[in-house]
Amino acid sequence: MRDKVLAGPLELDPFSPDRRRLENALTRRVNADPESVERGLAQLVLTIVELLRQIMERQALRRIDGGTLSEEQVERLGRTFMELDRRLEELREEFGLTEEDLNLDLGPLGRLL
Amino acid sequence: MIELYAITDDPRPPDPPLRAVRSNGLAVLYAPAERREVTSEALWRHEEVVEALMAERNLLPVRFGTLVRDAGAAVQAVSERRAELATSLDRVRGAVELAVRVESREPEPDPARGATSGRDYMSAKARRRAKANLVHEPLTLVSRESFMQNGPELLRAAYLVDRVAVEAFVDVVRRLQETHSELDVLCTGPWPPYSFAGGTS
Repeated sequence: MRDKVLAGPLELDPFSPDRRRLENALTRRVNADPESVERGLAQLVLTIVELLRQIMERQALRRIDGGTLSEEQVERLGRTFMELDRRLEELREEFGLTEEDLNLDLGPLGRLL
Repeated sequence: MIELYAITDDPRPPDPPLRAVRSNGLAVLYAPAERREVTSEALWRHEEVVEALMAERNLLPVRFGTLVRDAGAAVQAVSERRAELATSLDRVRGAVELAVRVESREPEPDPARGATSGRDYMSAKARRRAKANLVHEPLTLVSRESFMQNGPELLRAAYLVDRVAVEAFVDVVRRLQETHSELDVLCTGPWPPYSFAGGTS
């Protein structure tokens, strides 16, 4: 992996969670043991919800930038996303999942999976 | 079963054990599929094969683990999407993919916990995005195309860069890193153009 780094900090630690994520994603595909099915399903569903949340949030930011929303509308949008964010975090903790577990897109390499 | 590695319109045959099967101007590069565990080592081996092919030709990388029955099945799969694949090949011709990720050097407060109002929350998100754009926008100027991906980092993006412009791109990354010492900027590659091989993105 090192030799693919073209430019970066001397310490790659800030980006190291990716490696574990890759191992997780690969092993999860082959270990379908019944005991972890519920957690696996939760992970899959939460991953999709998290992806949708990120996409909708991005759209909301664009609308706010557009300047067509009233103060009240911005406040309401923000509250909605904040609640969704918090609720997702609670669900994640309930199933013992980390933030990284819900990010299965691994950059260029991840598109292989 | 055979495992597919890449689709190209380059007429040169690959080195064994890879073989090519041609269809109407396109060639599918493949090898006999090995029975093996799905591990990160297997993934890297696939990646190395595609990278070696990429060094000498323009290609569309095939997703890791794509198995078909035989060369005939590969030809059929390609001929069904011939026009789309030819367009994609033109799109990535002469270019490689570079990946960039950016993270704040100092951990930032989580907007979901720290914000006291909806407006606060959205402003925190907007600030994050503005920081990401400090790096992303200059890089769009030295790339053919770019693609922002979802991820926990400030920025996770893929750039389609002319082979001859890779060094210039990396220079810009280094300069951005110097200018923005509050950020960690990681650039990896050159990768096969995974993010730009599909029809649209």
